[in-house]
Amino acid sequence: MWKEIEKRESGRIRPRSFANRVKSSRVASLHLSNHKDIVSPHKGSVNSLQVDLTEGRYLLSGASDASAAVYDVQQPQKLEGGGLIAKHRPLFVIDKQHEHRHKYAISSAIWYPIDTGLFVTGSYDHYIKVWDTNSTQVVMNFKMPGKVYSTSMSSLATSHMLIAAGTEDVQVRLCDIASGAFAHTLSGHRDGVMTVQWSNSSEFVLITGGCDGAIRFWDIRRAGCFRVLDQSHSQLGRRPPLLERSAMTKGSTSRSLSGGQNMSKVAAVSRKSSHGNGTKHPGSNRISAKGPIKQRLHPGMLSGQDRATAHYGAVTGLKVSEDGMYLFSAGSDSRLRLWDIESGCNTLVNFETVRLQTNKPIQLSMCADSALVFVPCMTVVKAFDFWSGKTCFTFRGHYEYVNCCCYSAQDQELYTGGNDRQILVWSPFISYEADEGTTRNEDSWSD
Amino acid sequence: MEEEEVGRVRQLIEKATDTTAAEVDPRLLKAIKSVVRHSDSELRTAAQTLMSLMKRNHSQVRYMSLLIIDELFMRSKLFRTLIVENLDQLLSFSMGFRKNMPLPAPQAVASRLHSKAIEFLEKWNASFGVHYRQLRLGFDYCKNNLRLQFPDIQGNATRIQQERREREIRTQEILHKKFKTLKESFPLIKEEIQSTVNEIEECLDIVSTKEEPVPPVPLDDEDCDDFRSREILQLRLASLKEAEKVHEDMDNKVLFDVLRELYRLLVTRHLVSVQQWISVVVKVDVTDNRQRDSTLKELINIQNKIQFVKRKCEELVSALPTTAKQNLEEEEDIWEEGKIEPRDNGSSTTLRNQYENPSVPSTSGLESMTSGGSIGESGGSKASIESGGGKNNSRTKLLVEAPVMRWGPYLDNWGSNSGVLANQRGLDLESHWGRVDYDAVIPAEKIAELSVQATLYKEEQVNIKPCHAPLSRGGLCQRRDLKVCPFHGPIIPRDSAGNPLDQNVSADGRTYGPETDLVKQLAKQAVKNVRTRDREDIEKRINDKQSLKRAKLAKIREHNEAVLREAALASTSRSADIAEDIDGIGTDKPSSRKKKETLASMLRKKVTTKDRLSERLLNARTTDATVRQLRSDEDSCYREAFPNQW
Repeated sequence: MWKEIEKRESGRIRPRSFANRVKSSRVASLHLSNHKDIVSPHKGSVNSLQVDLTEGRYLLSGASDASAAVYDVQQPQKLEGGGLIAKHRPLFVIDKQHEHRHKYAISSAIWYPIDTGLFVTGSYDHYIKVWDTNSTQVVMNFKMPGKVYSTSMSSLATSHMLIAAGTEDVQVRLCDIASGAFAHTLSGHRDGVMTVQWSNSSEFVLITGGCDGAIRFWDIRRAGCFRVLDQSHSQLGRRPPLLERSAMTKGSTSRSLSGGQNMSKVAAVSRKSSHGNGTKHPGSNRISAKGPIKQRLHPGMLSGQDRATAHYGAVTGLKVSEDGMYLFSAGSDSRLRLWDIESGCNTLVNFETVRLQTNKPIQLSMCADSALVFVPCMTVVKAFDFWSGKTCFTFRGHYEYVNCCCYSAQDQELYTGGNDRQILVWSPFISYEADEGTTRNEDSWSD
Repeated sequence: MEEEEVGRVRQLIEKATDTTAAEVDPRLLKAIKSVVRHSDSELRTAAQTLMSLMKRNHSQVRYMSLLIIDELFMRSKLFRTLIVENLDQLLSFSMGFRKNMPLPAPQAVASRLHSKAIEFLEKWNASFGVHYRQLRLGFDYCKNNLRLQFPDIQGNATRIQQERREREIRTQEILHKKFKTLKESFPLIKEEIQSTVNEIEECLDIVSTKEEPVPPVPLDDEDCDDFRSREILQLRLASLKEAEKVHEDMDNKVLFDVLRELYRLLVTRHLVSVQQWISVVVKVDVTDNRQRDSTLKELINIQNKIQFVKRKCEELVSALPTTAKQNLEEEEDIWEEGKIEPRDNGSSTTLRNQYENPSVPSTSGLESMTSGGSIGESGGSKASIESGGGKNNSRTKLLVEAPVMRWGPYLDNWGSNSGVLANQRGLDLESHWGRVDYDAVIPAEKIAELSVQATLYKEEQVNIKPCHAPLSRGGLCQRRDLKVCPFHGPIIPRDSAGNPLDQNVSADGRTYGPETDLVKQLAKQAVKNVRTRDREDIEKRINDKQSLKRAKLAKIREHNEAVLREAALASTSRSADIAEDIDGIGTDKPSSRKKKETLASMLRKKVTTKDRLSERLLNARTTDATVRQLRSDEDSCYREAFPNQW
């Protein structure tokens, strides 16, 4: 540690890599925190957790008893056990007493990505509600056709304020906060939609995973989905550098069936456009380039590729990597898959066998600094290495199934919520001096 | 070396858990603790072993391991951190709250395991919950999600203490109030008591001065009786003493009434209240100690004075009630009696005896018979019998010896040795059954044989004495057993407190001098010693024989195993290991196999009558047979009912 600082001082390490090293060493020592308790007010399983994206300070939780709560994870309300245990009580709770409360379980609760003034909850009572954080009142109300499984807002959107909602219904709906109406209805899934995620590279690309086992990519500026991931369509390992990649895609297309040939070309094109200039200028030139091809190819994709599946059984969890290049998915077939978004291929990373919850969407989380993905596996949370698929850590603490986990990149802390109504904090290990007054924790051999 | 050590703690733990007992063998536990204390690696293996034992499919094993875990958990920090990491597993194995993992077989042990686990979790949480989030989590989970009932030992203790404190505070309040009222009314009460006492003293003065000249001879007519008897002499003395007291008569009746009244007031009201006040003052907890002490002193003085006056009254005046608690009617009763016969006390019965006894010798034998029936009534009457005639004496002796017989016709010729003529019975029918031999005689032996009394066995009514051993919660054991109480051992005579009396003295009732006693005890001890030595010798001999035999067997077994091992070595290396394992178990602890069996036997279901019956009745063959039979019956019925159908 001191050596690193010295190196940084002398300028031998760049500030960013220094920070990364510190962060990854902290992540490597994550353990169940004894000094930070989140007092869960929930009387049902915790289904959703999210730390706000602006300050990294407020944790939002949604639970099965139709309650949602917000905690301050940095400033404790109370110290207990001789100042040893910091209790974080909820700042406010929306529960059954609230006049605009949800009727049934809240399946997802997310922050408005721009600031902490709003948050969104989706519930099994078919409603999506937008809340004002400060007054804890409902600002907007969307009635969905079925139980809401998942909601998502794009963190890089500048031109729209859309909530993507995956419900029991086969259609994915986009709710516009600005107008209070449904902006889009995306149809293509053959069963309910378990998870929705916005792409991290383009504000117009939405990824959805359905109970039919398909992962679909949608460009919200046009109708229909433009890609369906196929688990049999695979590439080995990380994507090679640019030049070789084009050669390889050509090779793979030549090898693949005639139906898929067009598809992969399209994928290559759309990849180039969405990745290359997605964030910089979501301009009109791309549409002109891509639109006509897409439209032409649409019928073909429907017949051949539309039936492709990413998992046997439902897709229960999706997570896009921070750079927007990879997609991580979990299915009710207890498989974890890593997809290259650009090529649309299964990278065939062999994640060690786990058992996953099958009947509920699970919330995955990623840690970009040390390339870890946190997956709730029944009663434990496992951290897998992104590239090798090896289990790095196992977080054992919950007594029942874990539904969600949320990694706070700012504090290098992990929050997990499960069916046992608890929200646990996993924090980097800090050795506290044992000068607590109450009872000392040491050996006491009498004989 | 290391491996051997590691093996040691595992062996110890396995040995400790491999019993059917309810507790861990304290010696083994101590050994485990001492081994584990000195090395961390040992502790790690211990934790590992214990966790793997917790997974065993046997509640007894789990229970024993849980006990050991608790012992180590309360002591070692490292062990705590190791255990806490897998606390959810430990809890699910010890409480069985997961539906797919219920607690295994012996039901009784399983429930004990469950309750013990809950208790331990609470204890651990109370003492180390601050340091381990996992403990708090587990506790919360069990309490809030599973809704398990924790014994809440600490909470109970504090609650009880709180209650006691509250009660004390309340009593103090009451005492304070009482003390306050006492302080206010103290001069008044004092005055009242003083006045009563003064009045009594005045009355007594008057009575004593007035009664002095009265001659103390109220028993004049009895004086002329004979003084020979000692008893009468005693009586006389007592009456004389009593006569010194002042007696009531027509003249001082009013005075006595007043005195009586005052006395009653003093004893029932003042004395009692003063005693109560004293107890209040003693118990009360006030800041002003000096005042309290002075009040107490005064109260004690008053009490003493009252008691003094009371004693004086009782000494001087005979007709006063001696106890304060008698109620009014009773008191009046006694006074009336006192008026009629002032000396009717305990000695009157002896007097009556004295009067009656002189007539005993002169009465007829019949009366003495009745008194003889109840031997040992009193010393006096016994003496009178002995002084009576010798005839009477022999008769009573015979009566004591005589057997008690039922009445019957055989009593007619009791003790006669002659035979009986068989055919001499008044009414004769001449030669009806042919010729009759009139001289036929039934011999005496035959008659005796015929008239032998059948005696029914009657159980003797034994008065079984209670054990009377002192119990831990006070009182004596009231169990009645013939010889041995199952809880307190052989029944021996005990005194009222339950302490065993010395058997030598009490058993034969006679009293020896201390030296003879000692000698006898020594002799007894010597005999005992010799006997035990003999017994030991015999046992030793048997043991020797057995060990010889065992050694021989072991040799044979060793040979067999060696052969087997060789064979195994020839085939695989793995089987050699197994063979060694078996060998280790076989020679290391020959008793382990037996114990294993008992552990397994805990699991085995008891075969009930129902099971056996069902086994007999519900097996495939019988059911088939029954079904076939039923079907054929049905067929035949059908055929009979519809004979024209095919």
